[in-house]
Amino acid sequence: MNALTTIDFNQHVIVRLPSKNYKIVELKPNTSVSLGKFGAFEVNDIIGYPFGLTFEIYYDGEEVSSDENRDSKPKNKIPIGKVRLLSQEIKDVNNDKDDGQSEPPLSIKEKSVSLELSSIDSSATNQNLVNMGSKAQELTVEEIEKMKQESLSSKEIIDKIIKSHKSFHNKTVYSQEKYVNRKKQKFAKYFTVEYLSSSNLLQFLIDKGDIQRVLDMSQESMGMLLNLANIQSEGNYLCMDETGGLLVYFLLERMFGGDNESKSKGKVIVIHENEHANLDLLKFANYSEKFIKEHVHTISLLDFFEPPTLQEIQSRFTPLPKEEARALKGGKKNSYYRKLRWYNTQLQILELTGEFLYDGLVMATTLHLPTLVPKLAEKIHGSRPIVCYGQFKETLLELAHTLYSDLRFLAPSILETRCRPYQSIRGKLHPLMTMKGGGGYLMWCHRVIPAPEPVSENATAADSSEKLAEHGAKKQKI
Amino acid sequence: MSTNCFSGYKDLIKEGDLTLIWVSRDNIKPVRMHSEEVFNTRYGSFPHKDIIGKPYGSQIAIRTKGSNKFAFVHVLQPTPELWTLSLPHRTQIVYTPDSSYIMQRLNCSPHSRVIEAGTGSGSFSHAFARSVGHLFSFEFHHIRYEQALEEFKEHGLIDDNVTITHRDVCQGGFLIKKGDTTSYEFGNNETAASLNANVVFLDLPAPWDAIPHLDSVIAVDEKVGLCCFSPCIEQVDKTLDVLEKYGWTDVEMVEIQGRQYESRRQMVRSLNDALERLRDIKRHKLQGVERRKRMFNNTIDSNDEKVGKRNEDGVPLTEKAKFNPFGKGSRIKEGDSNYKWKEVTKVEAEIKSHTSYLTFAFKVVNRSRDDEKVNEILRSMEK
Repeated sequence: MNALTTIDFNQHVIVRLPSKNYKIVELKPNTSVSLGKFGAFEVNDIIGYPFGLTFEIYYDGEEVSSDENRDSKPKNKIPIGKVRLLSQEIKDVNNDKDDGQSEPPLSIKEKSVSLELSSIDSSATNQNLVNMGSKAQELTVEEIEKMKQESLSSKEIIDKIIKSHKSFHNKTVYSQEKYVNRKKQKFAKYFTVEYLSSSNLLQFLIDKGDIQRVLDMSQESMGMLLNLANIQSEGNYLCMDETGGLLVYFLLERMFGGDNESKSKGKVIVIHENEHANLDLLKFANYSEKFIKEHVHTISLLDFFEPPTLQEIQSRFTPLPKEEARALKGGKKNSYYRKLRWYNTQLQILELTGEFLYDGLVMATTLHLPTLVPKLAEKIHGSRPIVCYGQFKETLLELAHTLYSDLRFLAPSILETRCRPYQSIRGKLHPLMTMKGGGGYLMWCHRVIPAPEPVSENATAADSSEKLAEHGAKKQKI
Repeated sequence: MSTNCFSGYKDLIKEGDLTLIWVSRDNIKPVRMHSEEVFNTRYGSFPHKDIIGKPYGSQIAIRTKGSNKFAFVHVLQPTPELWTLSLPHRTQIVYTPDSSYIMQRLNCSPHSRVIEAGTGSGSFSHAFARSVGHLFSFEFHHIRYEQALEEFKEHGLIDDNVTITHRDVCQGGFLIKKGDTTSYEFGNNETAASLNANVVFLDLPAPWDAIPHLDSVIAVDEKVGLCCFSPCIEQVDKTLDVLEKYGWTDVEMVEIQGRQYESRRQMVRSLNDALERLRDIKRHKLQGVERRKRMFNNTIDSNDEKVGKRNEDGVPLTEKAKFNPFGKGSRIKEGDSNYKWKEVTKVEAEIKSHTSYLTFAFKVVNRSRDDEKVNEILRSMEK
């Protein structure tokens, strides 16, 4: 099966819930996945379907509670249901991405009114609707909880809730629709399985409230970073990533599309400020360990700027010929191979910090950029882009000013991009009433190689220094 | 001619290379290197032979003959984003904030097989071609098709991963068959190209006429993403209707707002300095008044040193105020190191306040699984 397009065993996937929350799930064979109040399902039941489908969890009275005969957590009392594909029309109602703040579709009456409302009276206006608060609902919280325990389908629960709502018939049909959608978000038992794309991973982290960790990044800023940095499968990129691997994942997904079999040779060299690189988020990636080892190298700032010399490395360790190494026994053998690993890492550092010039520099770090970027840029080839993501415009501004006065950088610019989502319903198109703020900024420039000033026969020293000043001024303007 | 100038990385500038010569932000010129030729600007002439052999990114400097001025350009390897800035506009183009968002949202990677209609100026085509597995571009305007085909050939895109077809997709759909006006090269027994697209981008005035034709060319066993690029909200409205009819879901329309900022400096002018300057002016005024008083009360004594300079009529001049912390009256260059500055950003003078609405939708054609295959996998795992 193609794990890039099809739900497959032993991969991480994103599960979208009716509450619009995201969940990352690992699909282990013969296990179940609990989605809390939205139910639980067997992994085997969804394997083999393409990504992007929505499944409904349903119960027909024969199901077992997930804590019986299962190796899942003992506290898990969520009954495991069966799954079926959610039919298209029901799904559409819930595709309305707005958070209940906007009006329902104008065309409701022309379309079929949603199933739950088909047999219910409605009012033309809300003239007779009196706000009774929770008194309008005759069902108690306990009664609703009991229905949930009994694993009634969401439709049955919602039907009962509507019937027990005293002033429901006084609501307009639009308001009723909104009410039903809100209840669905609470009681519906369906989920959508999506490929764990870089954007989905970012959305997951944002939903989880990890805004600080992801430095307030947005999908649109990261998309623009990838394009401005001209990321390609065969490129070798220098990267600093303070998000724990999210930026690296964005790079890898654009370069290789999640394909472990990719023949492309591109590499991401992650420079880290701590002793060890933090690429935690790559644990969700579906790349093999071998693939990551081949395409992602890490090196500390210190090793990058002050690499050891070959003599220093060899004075501490010299590998033995293979036969001799194989002949080593027990503890000696272990310690030999540990030292050999160290030796190979050191040689790799030499290789990464040698004469080699990189194809781009991409940054998402809160280290002081005006001191960092000019130093890292020494290792960037001419004509290659440098793109820095920053949560705040001011830090990038300071960087841009520093780079302006350095002739090795062409046209530093500060860019911002924001996505404004709309309520996407016919006849009711308008921007959403609220959206997430933030999204950060980008500094984009190209590494260039300044030319020595050309000498002409009659140019005096004073003349040429004056021209240099002019040169600087010109650079400021463009 | 055949290698793709836009993908891969080049070290040295070579004879025959397509380069982008950066004169200024709004003057970037595509130039192919020929050792006998010369690149002319109003600042002077740059012989190609002085450029060839240097590394990409090199600044090339000359002294102009007549005025002996210093002039320079930068020679860059083309990228789709720089190309977008330098582009000969055949039509309104898709700019980087929009194109990069669309590519990210539709998860573009080497795994993507993309349909683009219409080709237009080919700006977005270059960005797609850089990042995706294959691009099928459609253009209904015959002259623009010819121009784009020629350009794509020159850029090495056709030999790499781009197919361009002359077609009104609203009328004729997306199937590419033998005998069509297309750059597609058919195999021996091949009569129609297999598009199998999983990404679709429609930049058409009437996308609703094209959407029904998509079913026969999109991938059936995976989720397919679609983006319609329409400037008017009425177009979006009509598109939504058709998307629903043809089974596209997760429909969402968004707008992208891109902004670019200039890095500038503003002089820091303190209250104390402003007060001190006023005090200084006041002091000088008083001095002047006293001097004049003395001048009229006493007989004018040219040796009176206290009076100081006089004008032609013998009236003593008041010295100008000396304390001038903000350089008033003289032209101060932004950033002059004799003054204190605050770094600030300024948004571009003219912004692209609306490009187009982006309507996204997704479709899975084959919504089933091969149960037998799944069972087989499960059995093989039990072993």
